[in-house]
Amino acid sequence: MLSVQGLVAGYSAAAVVDGISVAVSAGEMVTLVGANGAGKSTLLKAIAGAIPVRAGLVSIDGEDVTNVPAHRRVGKGIVLVPEGRMLFAGMSVDENLTLGAHLRTGPAARRAVAEDRERVFGLFPVLAERRRQAAGTLSGGEQQMLAIGRAMMSAPRVLLLDEPSLGLAPKVIGEIFSALDVLRDSGLGMVLVEQDARLALRHACRGYVVRTGRVALEGPAEELLDNDDVRLIYLGAWHETKG
Amino acid sequence: MGRRHPTRSRVMAHAGLVAGIVLLALPLVLGDLYLVRIFTLVGINLVMVTGLSLLFGYAGQISLGHAAFFGLGAYTSGFLTRLGWPWVAGLLAGVLVAAAGGLLLALPSLRLKGHYLAMATLGFGEIALFFFTEAESLTGGSDGLREIPAAAIGGFSFDTPTLKYALVWATAALVLLLAANVVRLRPGRALRAIHGSELGAQACGIDTVRIKTQVFVISAGLAGLAGVLYAHYIGFVSPSTFTLNLSLILVAMVALGGMGSLSGAVAGTVLLTLLPYADAIIPGLSRDTVAFLQDWESDIHGLVLILVMLFMPGGIAGLGRQLAVRLRRTSRTAEGGAS
Repeated sequence: MLSVQGLVAGYSAAAVVDGISVAVSAGEMVTLVGANGAGKSTLLKAIAGAIPVRAGLVSIDGEDVTNVPAHRRVGKGIVLVPEGRMLFAGMSVDENLTLGAHLRTGPAARRAVAEDRERVFGLFPVLAERRRQAAGTLSGGEQQMLAIGRAMMSAPRVLLLDEPSLGLAPKVIGEIFSALDVLRDSGLGMVLVEQDARLALRHACRGYVVRTGRVALEGPAEELLDNDDVRLIYLGAWHETKG
Repeated sequence: MGRRHPTRSRVMAHAGLVAGIVLLALPLVLGDLYLVRIFTLVGINLVMVTGLSLLFGYAGQISLGHAAFFGLGAYTSGFLTRLGWPWVAGLLAGVLVAAAGGLLLALPSLRLKGHYLAMATLGFGEIALFFFTEAESLTGGSDGLREIPAAAIGGFSFDTPTLKYALVWATAALVLLLAANVVRLRPGRALRAIHGSELGAQACGIDTVRIKTQVFVISAGLAGLAGVLYAHYIGFVSPSTFTLNLSLILVAMVALGGMGSLSGAVAGTVLLTLLPYADAIIPGLSRDTVAFLQDWESDIHGLVLILVMLFMPGGIAGLGRQLAVRLRRTSRTAEGGAS
């Protein structure tokens, strides 16, 4: 469904993303793992259109969207859940969700939007309890749930998830990832960027190991979990095997 | 849901509207010409601050150059009507020139944020001031433009203080009503979203570049409209009106009222515009006090800005909200105690 070919992107002269190709189909979660600064977040932003692409191709269902501006890619179903959540802190949970459905206007969409809102509340009941509360007053986990919920309101086909576990307690991470599993099983495609490679590879179907802006290794998630190099470098498995 | 339960912002908007109507009627009821004159100035400032509130208070884009747009409107309309153009044509031209100035500034400024945007808009204001002072054939230089005719529609001239007052406030009410509708609905949410997080707004499918350009142009156009009203109210414009000082006062009005609150901006505008004329509102105020307020006006504005930023970041609207929350809490505890 979503296909990224030979993407080159970066903020300054040096390309942070230096020719990465990634593909994800409906109902599939793929993950990008790698050290800090390997270019994973930059890649997600480039796929979302938030930063310019210098070379390469981004397409969804065969439609080239490489030169489509960020806000219109949302309409095509490519929706970013940004790192640090980027919620609208002063606005209520409800308003944040409404903004997620910003492009879905007209009487025909109203019903679908209302259903999606209920779906988000079904997925994250705590958001329903806090729907009138300002987003900035939520806990970190609740904010991450809201960021995912807001993205769900755009009727996405592919979610680009940037570090959804960052700074959260293990129990909350568990809740969020089981919600992601539900969404994936409902047919959503997902590209997940995670520091916690073990967590990511456990939930994803396939994985890409990114090193200095390129894909160093790719394959089914279980294989990467068992790969000695990956275990050693990204999973911190040294202590487990030797200790 | 907003339909069944009036939201807090809607209640605030209604409160602002009621306050506006009371303000509107007050000087006429009292029949005091001094009051009428002062409140005409309040109305002119309201038009301008409404525009700045959309840009700065809602979208979070600061402008330290709004005096320039005010001036562009005032000079354009003043110049053209002196040539014999009808007032309505001067009005349209003034608004258009100011809006075009806004577009001119918006395009290079879209990439700028925070301090950089402040510097760029400040620079624009200074360039405009230089232009007002130096382009003597158009602006009359530092002597300004004199004998600008009063506003007139068809054969009807708004040439008495009360008529001028009515014209200004009818315009202000219309502008406020339109703005209140804009901020309550989808475009207002988009503005506030851009203020909250531009990346987040983009991720919601909001065209941040387009919306920022639009709000810049609208805001400049409203300042231009205020400038037109001003020129034909006073009948005289000169560069000393359109200084950085004015731009700063406007920012202070929005900040004092509270970011992202139109009714707050109205309150901030009324308070700060009336400040040097406190004697007209509060009877029996000593002459010394009034002289002090007038001499130290700019300093008081600066101080207000600092104090608001430090202790009252939500402004007057924020205080109102806090009060509402506290009242609700007390009433809830009271209910809890009774049952």
